[in-house]
Amino acid sequence: MAYNVLIVDDSATMRALIRKVLVISGFDIGEYFEGANGLEALEILEQNWVDIILSDLHMPEMDGAGLVQELKKHEMWRNIPVVLITTEARPEVIKPFMNLGVQDYIQKPFRPELIRQKLSGLLGEARTTDASEIESCDF
Amino acid sequence: MLAKLKAATFEVLETMFYLFPESLEGGETLRSRGPFLRSSVTIAGPQAIRIGLQVPQSLACKMAANFLGATEAEISQTEMEDILKETTNMIAGSFLSKLEASAAFKLQTPLIQVLGAKDKNKKEPEKSLRFEVDEEVMELFVEKG
Repeated sequence: MAYNVLIVDDSATMRALIRKVLVISGFDIGEYFEGANGLEALEILEQNWVDIILSDLHMPEMDGAGLVQELKKHEMWRNIPVVLITTEARPEVIKPFMNLGVQDYIQKPFRPELIRQKLSGLLGEARTTDASEIESCDF
Repeated sequence: MLAKLKAATFEVLETMFYLFPESLEGGETLRSRGPFLRSSVTIAGPQAIRIGLQVPQSLACKMAANFLGATEAEISQTEMEDILKETTNMIAGSFLSKLEASAAFKLQTPLIQVLGAKDKNKKEPEKSLRFEVDEEVMELFVEKG
């Protein structure tokens, strides 16, 4: 199954790298979108269906925390898994983001297989959750 | 501190660039041709420090090509500069993790400078490490921030 991926990073070079790593990892990408900050990501989400978001922490205009806060306000977007791509993985830095609802993080430097493993795990979990929610609905 | 910084540098170069640096001892020299790119990132906090990386532009170009899966001829100046900034950022982030530094230490935005051969040796950094990477010299330095 192919997944639509949104990458949010202020460096075009990093976005290109993450895209390349996703391809190398064998992750099945459907549509690929990219934004340079949280505001651009929200504009993309207004127009497109996205299955997973990979986001940097520090960006101008709207950073990773701002983006996650906005996502959580919207019914349509609040369950989209968000993975932080970060140079900093100290618990003191990551924990506030996890408290905001970020699902996971990947610390740079990373290997392609790690990305695939994390994304497949998250999307698998998301699908399972969705399925169980549907099953438990009283139509 | 320098041992942790060296470990962080090797980890980043090996994982992201498939480059395997070797430490250069005090007297060892390698010919390096300019211009050079110098990237630095400040770690703000109770004792602010600046970590920097200086490489010949030719090495930055190789790194960018490896990083992006492109040929060296396809690499732009912006890409070289972005890659070096990102590399310095990754080294600093990995270094902070290895130090288990508190949240009071924060990474600032990396900066980049293009240096000519004359500028390169103007100011000796307080602490530095030199590596041979793909037959070129990479210098890593630490200064008070």
